[in-house]
Amino acid sequence: MFIQVLNGIVYGGLLYLLAVGLVLIFGLREVVNFAHGSLFMVGAYLGFTIASMGYWWGGLLVSVVGMGMVGCTLDALIFRTLRKQDHMITVLVTFGLLLILETAVTAIWGKAYLTYPVPRLLDGTIGIADTPFPIYRLFVIGVSVAVAVSLSVWLRYTRTGLYIRAASTDARVTAMQGINVDRLSLIVVGLGTALAGVSGVVAGPLLSLSPTMGNYILIDSFIVVVIGGLGSFAGAFVAALLIGQIHNFGAVYLPWASTVLPFLLMVAILIWRPTGFAGSRT
Amino acid sequence: MSASAIAGIGLTRRFGGFTALDGVDIAVSQGEIRGLIGPNGAGKSTLIDVLSGRAPDRVGRVLLNGEDISGLSPQDRRRRGMARSFQRTNIFPELTVEQQLRVASWAVPGADIAEVMNELHLTAMADMPAAEISYGDQRRLDLALALVGRPTVLLLDEPAAGLTMEESLSLAHILRDLANRWKVTVLLVEHDMQVVFSICDRITVLHLGRSLSEGTCAEIRADPTVIAAYLGTEV
Amino acid sequence: MSTTAQGTATTARSRPTAAVMLVGAAVAALAAGATLPWLLPTKIAMSLLAQAIFDALLATSVGFLILQNGRVSFGQAAFFGLGGYSIGVLVARNWVAPELAIIIALVLPTMVAFLLGLVIARITGVAHAMLTLAVGQAFYEVVFRWRELAKGDDGMSFELPRELFGLPASRLQDPVVMMVLAWSILVLVLLALALFARSRIGQIAAAIRDNEERARFLGYSTMLPRALVYAIAAFIAAIAGVLSACYNGYIAPQMFHWSASGFALIMAIIGGAKFVIGPAVGAILLFYIKDYAGQFAEYWPAIVGVILVVVTLTMPRGVVGLVATVWTKRV
Repeated sequence: MFIQVLNGIVYGGLLYLLAVGLVLIFGLREVVNFAHGSLFMVGAYLGFTIASMGYWWGGLLVSVVGMGMVGCTLDALIFRTLRKQDHMITVLVTFGLLLILETAVTAIWGKAYLTYPVPRLLDGTIGIADTPFPIYRLFVIGVSVAVAVSLSVWLRYTRTGLYIRAASTDARVTAMQGINVDRLSLIVVGLGTALAGVSGVVAGPLLSLSPTMGNYILIDSFIVVVIGGLGSFAGAFVAALLIGQIHNFGAVYLPWASTVLPFLLMVAILIWRPTGFAGSRT
Repeated sequence: MSASAIAGIGLTRRFGGFTALDGVDIAVSQGEIRGLIGPNGAGKSTLIDVLSGRAPDRVGRVLLNGEDISGLSPQDRRRRGMARSFQRTNIFPELTVEQQLRVASWAVPGADIAEVMNELHLTAMADMPAAEISYGDQRRLDLALALVGRPTVLLLDEPAAGLTMEESLSLAHILRDLANRWKVTVLLVEHDMQVVFSICDRITVLHLGRSLSEGTCAEIRADPTVIAAYLGTEV
Repeated sequence: MSTTAQGTATTARSRPTAAVMLVGAAVAALAAGATLPWLLPTKIAMSLLAQAIFDALLATSVGFLILQNGRVSFGQAAFFGLGGYSIGVLVARNWVAPELAIIIALVLPTMVAFLLGLVIARITGVAHAMLTLAVGQAFYEVVFRWRELAKGDDGMSFELPRELFGLPASRLQDPVVMMVLAWSILVLVLLALALFARSRIGQIAAAIRDNEERARFLGYSTMLPRALVYAIAAFIAAIAGVLSACYNGYIAPQMFHWSASGFALIMAIIGGAKFVIGPAVGAILLFYIKDYAGQFAEYWPAIVGVILVVVTLTMPRGVVGLVATVWTKRV
């Protein structure tokens, strides 16, 4: 039972890393990044390429840096260019990006499922509640918690963190205060996509690699973001844990409810409180 | 004595910590043209919003011809004959001028748009999308939308905002003319004193969310509290 | 036949004339459709065109919602699926007469959409997109797991009834018949939408789309017209679902998936959602581009993605919009 809960936390951790990226990007650019799942996937493949050469940790580094740069490019080329137009247009462009990335990865690595190795350091199991539990999964939980804590500290105690919180609340007023929202967005979007990269690499050994691996988790992370309440990192954390548990327990005990319930929750919240996405800001 | 055409009792509205209206009473008689003036931030637009149903979170009552309409939606108020215009032009950008006036006329049985279009000089641009006409034309369109269907009560929020002196006075006279012909009761928010004094029968002065004074143009002009509130502005 | 929501001429006299022109164009299109069997070389080509028209109908459904409600939906495929599954399940179980099954398959999604529309009428922008995506996926997940209904994720084949409205139903699966039938239905749907846009209720809906607040202050309740638009859009998607299910004799959960909605949306954007025929043009255009892509077919999603990005960045009014702009500049 406890093991089940732990597994749920593992998945929740992956969701959290993605959700944070989505919240960061939406907070600054008011865009729901449909390509986020694909970035997760590309990050996984990048890391895999390096990891299969024997450098697992190098793979993680390459993925983080690489996806961070992709994010900056995305912000500079697309988000910034389209920021004056209806935000749905940018959302559609990210959807187009999803298609492009998926095809590109299929072309380069093929459709076959690939296995991402576990790093030697984290190989093996540890006894928890009389059951062997993979150390790697504890690592995943650790990464998510570390990111949550660092992010929390960064947002609360640094100047940039303050600017981000301000811009997430009201970008126009923040810009009027003289803060360069475009430069801030560059950092923030890059960070968001870098986190998608982290999530991808970390998820690699847990899931099999395939060009479509981003699709399912994208939807789950959308659910997390909505249920967590937009702009709320703490909310995303709690919601990620919740969805992680539902996902895990549901798969065994209540397959129907576990898959439909999150969507119904999402619908209910959007009807009750759409202003996180639209209304005053759009 | 017959009920006022439009009346507000104890109207209060708060935005978070800020009180925009603080227990305002106002009553406008049938057929009267009432000016609503006051320094910036006095609560004039808020009063119009509350009277017209744009502010659901208000305290106090709104009466239309004696009937309590406090809880009614804007569409229900329009059906009872109350129309309004907007300070920030609130038109239909993609529809043509004629098209949106037509849509406005369908909401009121028997309404005709030709007269309003002529009076407000909108016939020349009938087929142009509203987004493409000049600012002055858009202001007149905003007003025209409120006039279609001959409402019995008209709430106008700075109809002359952004117009030149000439345009403003011309608009004022058209308004006065239509109001008298159609027997419309008008409550008019306006900063331009020339407009106010040229067409209003009586004036209500708001200051800091409260009703400061009320009377004829001559009375208001001479009222020391009003002059003090404006602190040297030409009244 | 490219009519925007605001209609072309606006004076009372020329309005009936424009409507007559629309009907005339529709008749001509129907006649052209009758000649299609001789224009296309193979039955496979006809079958592909028929499928493209199913896409065109779904794209029109998505586009209509944008056109008349100003709302983007990532869940229209839900109504496509509802239509397809209704006819498939009802016919397979033989619960009602096949003619009644068709009516149910069309009415059920329409009613669901109407009720949903009443509830979500005030939700705009990205929230609306996410909400509709969630609704669509909720349906998908239910159907995916409901093995007793239609074999869950395996999908279900079903046999068409022997007769439909007195005619042999098997003809529906003949590419020639389905192609002409689908084309005719598409033409009639587009005509109906164009006439709707010019009608009183259509123009009121357009006003609500343009400025909902002012529409209220003019005296209009805005919930019902919006819900009506949702209902009409769903009806069109349901038609596509019924046609697709009958033609293929097969229904699968994929019909509900948000990616199906997404592709329909892409077609609508590329064609130009602000025009009644835009989405259909986009769908058929993409169909032909895919056909000519030939050896590049495996890169198709990327090609679509690139086209989408290019169109949204350079031609916001879509292909039809571009053609319309060029046309008016010449005249």
